Formats: sequence, structure tokens, C-alpha cells
Amino acid sequence: MAVLLVGLLTLIAGCAPAGAEGQAFPGFFAPPAASAEGQAIDSLYFYVFLIAVAVFLTVEGLLLWIVFRYRRRPRVDGLPPQTHGHNLLEIVWTAIPAAIVTMLFVATIDTLAFVEELDPKPQGVIIDVVGFQWQWTFNYPEEGLSFTGAGAEGPVMAVPVGERVRIRLEATDVIHSFYVPMFRYKLDVVPGRVNEFDIVVEEPGTYTGQCAEFCGLLHAEMYFTVEAMSRADYDAWVTEQQQQPEPTPGGSPPPDAATVEVTSVGVVEGYEPSELSVPADTPWLVDLTNSDQFAPHDFAIRGGNPDGSDWQGDPNADPGQQVIYEPPPLAAGQYEFYCSLHPNMVGTLRVGE
Amino acid sequence: MATTTLAPRARPYTSTRARAYEWLTTTDHKKIGVMYMASAFLFFLIGGVYALLIRAELAVPGIQFLEFETYNQLFTLHGTVMIFLFVMPMWTGLANYIVPLQVGAADMAFPRINALSYWMIPVAGLMLFSGYAFGGAANAGWTGYAPLSVRENIGIDLWVGSLVLLGTSSILGAINFIATIFKMRAPGLTLMRMPLFVWNTLVTSVLLLFAVPVLTAGFVMLFIDRNYGGGFFDPALGGNPILWQHIFWFFGHPEVYILILPAFGVVSEILPVFSRKPLFGYKAFVFATASIGALGFSVWAHHMFATGAVYLPFFSFFTFLIAVPTGIKFFNWLATMWGGQLRLSTPMLFAIGFIALFLIGGLDGAFLAVVPFDFHVHDTYWVVSHIHYVLVAGAVFGIFAALYYWWPKITGRMLDERLGKVQWVLLFVGTNVAFFPQHILGLDGMIRRIIDYAPNPGWTELNFLSTIGAFMVGISMLPFMWNVFITQRKPATAGDDPWDANTLEWATTSPPPTYNFEALPPVRSERPLFDLKYGAVEPHAAAVPAARGESHEETRADAPEEFLGEPVEGHEDPDVPGARTTPQVSEHAPDATPREERPKREGGDPAPPTEGRS
Repeated sequence: MAVLLVGLLTLIAGCAPAGAEGQAFPGFFAPPAASAEGQAIDSLYFYVFLIAVAVFLTVEGLLLWIVFRYRRRPRVDGLPPQTHGHNLLEIVWTAIPAAIVTMLFVATIDTLAFVEELDPKPQGVIIDVVGFQWQWTFNYPEEGLSFTGAGAEGPVMAVPVGERVRIRLEATDVIHSFYVPMFRYKLDVVPGRVNEFDIVVEEPGTYTGQCAEFCGLLHAEMYFTVEAMSRADYDAWVTEQQQQPEPTPGGSPPPDAATVEVTSVGVVEGYEPSELSVPADTPWLVDLTNSDQFAPHDFAIRGGNPDGSDWQGDPNADPGQQVIYEPPPLAAGQYEFYCSLHPNMVGTLRVGE
Repeated sequence: MATTTLAPRARPYTSTRARAYEWLTTTDHKKIGVMYMASAFLFFLIGGVYALLIRAELAVPGIQFLEFETYNQLFTLHGTVMIFLFVMPMWTGLANYIVPLQVGAADMAFPRINALSYWMIPVAGLMLFSGYAFGGAANAGWTGYAPLSVRENIGIDLWVGSLVLLGTSSILGAINFIATIFKMRAPGLTLMRMPLFVWNTLVTSVLLLFAVPVLTAGFVMLFIDRNYGGGFFDPALGGNPILWQHIFWFFGHPEVYILILPAFGVVSEILPVFSRKPLFGYKAFVFATASIGALGFSVWAHHMFATGAVYLPFFSFFTFLIAVPTGIKFFNWLATMWGGQLRLSTPMLFAIGFIALFLIGGLDGAFLAVVPFDFHVHDTYWVVSHIHYVLVAGAVFGIFAALYYWWPKITGRMLDERLGKVQWVLLFVGTNVAFFPQHILGLDGMIRRIIDYAPNPGWTELNFLSTIGAFMVGISMLPFMWNVFITQRKPATAGDDPWDANTLEWATTSPPPTYNFEALPPVRSERPLFDLKYGAVEPHAAAVPAARGESHEETRADAPEEFLGEPVEGHEDPDVPGARTTPQVSEHAPDATPREERPKREGGDPAPPTEGRS
């Protein structure tokens, strides 16, 4: 008996919100949502939470009380009254839950309409999101900007606050999901299908997002960042990005440079061949053919820069594309080359004597 | 008091080899049931070790000792093993053992098909794990979402093969149960007198029969896509990845009820026995079970709210609606205990633990019907928490309640109460410590199926807490296994009816003979054994208007000798014969039971105790 009590107390203690202030320890109420839609979801959650707590306390309280009150006591003879049922009670405890869930359903539909509302003619910023294993590309078709994430950092999506932003999602390979916890919203990124939603970000700030639908090997590292800023900051950001020079494929390479050919086959299969060798301390080129039909790839060398940092080829080779990179001459030794978008794709680079 | 005499065998099995042969070739539903349960428990341990590996990796942020690929295979197999090789076979095994006894049959309707259904399971298990020998086990999650599952490793082909085999086993089992329940019930055992465990097994079997073929078709499509250039799920070839999710969840949601309905049945069996009252609202339970089963087929797309490809209000509404029959069950369970004399033995504790914790799984499930909120927590740890409150607090508590309850019937030995309570405390606390913090992680946006997480405020602590809880759940299996070990070394002294129970399985010996019953008590209500022991105390729901006959006094001592359970020595059961002094008055009515079916009695009045109608 005492055991049951301890168990239930643990349970109830487990329900207490563990902390309330802003970025502190998370509890039942996360820090306020950053988007208008998220705030609507938060307030709906609050009412559902209240009802759930009421039901929880009623049922657990009844259960505890019944277990205490009606536990078998010694020296009680005979059977307790053999009650088989009560029609009125059945009707009552059918009707009350039915009324509660109907109420919840109406509230759900109401908030859903607000969250799902789509502007038939989007006026503001439009962002096309392309998800692929295991990165994101954010395209701004109006502004002519495109960002593809690399490594664990992921790309940055800038949005103006207080404006309706249209986000269109498409995947090239498998299903992903575009999720920003502070917006309380996710929508799947499905190959062969364009999903879209509108969002009004209310609070300027930096919000982490992540792929929420399991999408293979490096699903856990498919991050991105949303930067919400005022309209003026946003315009400045767009201008700044537009003035950055387009990365161009290697220009005209020195005619005497050694060229190694390598094919990126796929995110699981990796590079073919996975071992390359080049002469030491001479200019050389990498001829990368991306035969993967789904994901872009590139070519990077761990410790390939003269200062010891990783050298990274630019731009990415899109599916079916061929790109020539010009890495710096390397000292003799063994290096690892990899795809900066898919750090699991690795190979060995032998720089000869 | 083993009262039903075991018929001597023509050639008793003595040598180990002969015994092994006997088990390998048996068509006895009880032996098959035990084999089901034993292999299910083995897979439970494997799946549990996988869970502990996952939790150990997640205890602190960063990648400690697993690799991405290993981790992805771990959670894929953890889900697959726990659902398809532990919970489903465990329930099938229990039902295999108990349902024929509860309906008073000698065996299942198709004993050989029954054996076939069982033997597919070890083969399927081997096939699933053989992925490790061929370049990696399945790694696309237990839901195997296309097109990821079309592109991933060879382990998925073996996973598909294994699940098709398990599906076939389930379909055959379901047909077998339906035939047994509809055609082999004892005289007098009308549908509305069937024990609730039988009802739940029946509804579960119907769900299996409708859901599993759809999934199997989906697996065949996936296999064609993977190996023969099909394009069912590939948009480049005109297919649709969402189609897989429709197929999978059309099976997958009824599957949740396939896993949990038998637990509802077990709790509905245990509460009346240990409260010493009839089930409150028997008919309400039957209708609620049937409507949960029916509604289970209209909510599949609530797993797909975030796909942007389903009509949201419809699936939201029906998902909410399921709360109503579930609520009816909860209130009727509470009403069953209300006013009773609760014996807090281990099976009862597990049943109460089930009610206390499954409530949380039910409530956080209702949150998920709130579509906008589901946008937020879908695919986060909230969902992980929800499914584990349903399957650990629900199915696992139900399974242990059932094991502790029926163990004396299956082995003739009572499991140790003290060790049972130790296990209960560990499991109860462990379940909450492991899974409750996951709600908060989900609310804070921690997604599932990741090997690593950002060291956000609180995430490290909550994940560490969850890992501690998971290990408590793991450790809680040790007292159970020790309990089983020491109990098997004791003499079989449990007796026919150690819990003073209500249903037919307790009217035969423990363990029952091969043919189950020498004679059956008459069935006049859903509690035939109770009627036999106590006389009918008051009218049950009448199927036929009462026929007036001559009344006679009947006391407990009048009840047929054969069917009196006897308290075991040392077992705390104050309900000794003769404790009741008030004579029970009941009305005698013409007895519809065929003569041969009646209990053999030592002379005197041949009329069994009845409640006044047939």
C-alpha cells in the first residue's frame, strides 16, 4: 500500500513544472512562441493542458481514494455488494467525455484554420526550401539568392518580422520535415510534392530548426537556422548577399596540372574511387562528376589548406553536374577527402613523393 | 487439491529427448502458448538491451560509443522487435493458453495451424536479425517510410520478409481465435457471458484480420520497388511516397489497439476477482471494446498530420472520439473497484498500475488529436513518451498483470509475492522516470530518432533522468526472472483456484490436463465459477426472462466439491470455505446444460446452483 502511495507521489511530483523562466530549465510551458501561429498554438495548448490536468487529478485521485478506502481489511466476512452496473452512470460518463472532446474539437478546428491560412496571392517574401540528405537549400526566387548548408552548421534563412512569409517545401530524395520549435510548426518536405505554408514571425531573433522526419544516416545533424529581423535589416541583408561574388568554377586551369577524376555516386555509396593519388607540391585539379540523382555534393580535404584548416571546394556539383576544383598543392602524406554536405562520404587522398 | 484426475498417458514422455520431441511437435494450445510466451520474453530481453543501448548513448549530449548507422539500426530493430516479436506474440501466447480454457474448449479450433503460426515466429526473428550477417540490419525505422526504405540497405529486404512472415502468422492466429471463440464455447456460454479477455481477443483478432493483409500488401509493394524496379512509392516513376504512409498507418493504428486491447481484457479480468465484485458495466465494456476496434480504422491519418496531404478535421474528430469509449472503460474500472474488498496482490497491483499510468498515455494521446499542437510535437520526444506510456505503462503492465495472475494456472506454482512487489515498484517508478521527462523534451522541441542532441538548457538533465529510468525498467526484470527461477524449483501447490476467481480456466487443474476439462460447470453468467462457489448472489443481466421454479436454499457447502478452489497453505487467502454463513437463496430453473457437461457430483441434488434462468 505504502508502495503504491510512494509510486503515485513520484508520478505527481514528476508533473510539477520544473522551472518557468525564459531560457531556463524547460517545463510544461516552453518559452513563448516567436510566430503568430505559434502563439495561437500555445494558447490552445494551455486550455488542453488545463483540461488534461483536471481529468488526470480526478481519475488518479479517485483511484487512490478507492484503493485506500476499499482495500481489504482483516476480519471482514462475506462478499461486498455485488453491483453489476448502473445505466444512468454509464450515460453520464459517456456524455461528459463526449462533451469535452467536442469542445476540444471545435477549439482545434478554430486554431487550425488560423494556422493553416494561406494567402491566395502571396505578397511578401517567398522562400523555396529544398531538403535533401542531409542538408537544406534555401532559394529566394525574387531576390535571386540561394544558400546550401554544409557540415553541421546548415544554411541560414533570413525573414522579415511582422510580415507574412510564404515557405514552399520540396525534397529531392526522401521525406524530410521542416521544423522550427520556436514557431511550434513543422511540415513535411516530400519528394514529388510541394507543401507550402505562411508564417508571420513576431519576434526578431535566431531560431534553430532541424529536420524532424527520419531521413537516413545523418538525420540527427540536419540543422538550419532562421534569422528573423526587421524589414530594414532584412533589405540590407538581401543587398549584401546579392553583392557577394558568385563562386565560379575554377576558371582556366594551368595546362600542366595533374587532374584526378572522381565520381560522387551517392550519400550512402560515397565516392568512386575512394582512393586518389596525386603528386606532391604541384598544382592539381579535381574533376568531380556527381552521378547521384538526388543530392548535390562537393569535394573537401581535411587539413588541405596551408594553414592546416580544411580546404573546401566551391560550388557544389548538383545532381548530374560536373565541376572542376583547384585545390592548393599539398605536401606529401595521406589526407582524407570528404563531402562537406555529407561528412559520412569520405575517401583517402595519397599525396605522392 | 488437484481434483480433475489426469488420464495416464499410454507412453509417458520421460527422457529429455522425448520431451524435446514432444514440445517440438505439439499441437496442444497450452504448450504452444507457453512457447509463444517464452520466445516473446526472449525477444523482450533483446529489445530491452537495444533500448538500454539507445538510452545510454543519449544520456549526455555528444556521440559516445555508437555510430550513426549502428544507432539507426538499433532503434529500427528496437521498435520492430518490441512490437512484432514481443508484445504481439506475448498476447497471442497468453490468449492461446487462456482463451480455450475460458471458453471451455479442449483446444483451439485448428491445432495444427496453431503450431504453424507459432513456428513462423522464430524463423521470422532469425530472418530479421540475419541482416547483421548480410551487411547491416534494417535501418529505416520501424515505420519504414518510403522512399527512404526503398533506398536503404539489404537489411530492409530481410525486415520485409520477416514482417510478411509474422503477418501471416498473425492472420492464421486471428482466424484460429475467431473460429475458437465463435464455434467452441461451452454450453451456456453466450457471447454476452464471455470473459472480457475473450472479448478483447476476439476484437483484436478481427482487427488483425482487417489490418495485417493491408500491411502485407504494402510490404510486397515495397519489395517490388526495391528489387524489381517498381515505382509505387517513387515520385520520379509516377509513384507517391505518401501512399506508403496511408498503407502503413491503416495497419499501424489498429495495431496500437492490437497491442493494448488484450491488456484492457486482462485488467477487466483481474479487477473483479481482486475486488470480489462483478465487473461494473459488462455490456458497456463490450460495446466500448467493439467501438474502439471500429474507430481504430478511421484515425490512421492522425500519424500523418504533418504531411500536408490529409484532410485534417476528419481524422482529428475521430481521434478525439476514441477518448469516449476509453473513458467509459476507465470509469467502469473505477466503479468495479468501488465498494469492493481490494486484495492488493501482485496481479492487482499491476492492474492498478496500468490504470494509473495508461491514463497518462491516453491523455497525451488526446493532445495529439489537437492538430495544431500535433504540428509542434509530431516526431518529437512527446510522441516517444506517448507511445511508451501506451506500450510500457499499458501493454507491459498488462502483460505482467496477466503473467502473475495466470502463472499458477500455467505452472501450478504461485510466483513469490514479495519479489513481485519489488518488481512492481521498480517498473512503476522506472517507467515514470524514463518516460515522463520525454514529454518536456518534446515540448521543448527535441526530435526523435537522433543519436545526438544540442546541449540546450535542461536537455542534458532530462535525458540523463530518462536514462536512469530506462535502466530501472531494465533492472526490474531481474526480480521477475529470479522469481520465475526459484518458483520453478518449488512443488506445484497452487491449487486449481488460488485467487478465488470467476472464470472457467480456474475450474480445472493447474496446469490443466491435455484435454483441459473433465467436466464443465454450468454457465449462467459471465462468472460461472463464482456462481458455483457462492451461488448466484443477485440477478445478472438476463438473456431470457426468469423462469420461475421451486426455490431452494443453497449454501457454499452445497456447491459441487469438484469445483471448489482451495486456499493454498501459506497463501494469504482468508476466503476459507464456510466463512460465509448467510445462506444464499436462489431460484432453481430448468437446466439447459447437457447432462454429460454437468459436473459430476457425489450424489444428492443434481441441480447445480443457478441464478434463476437459463
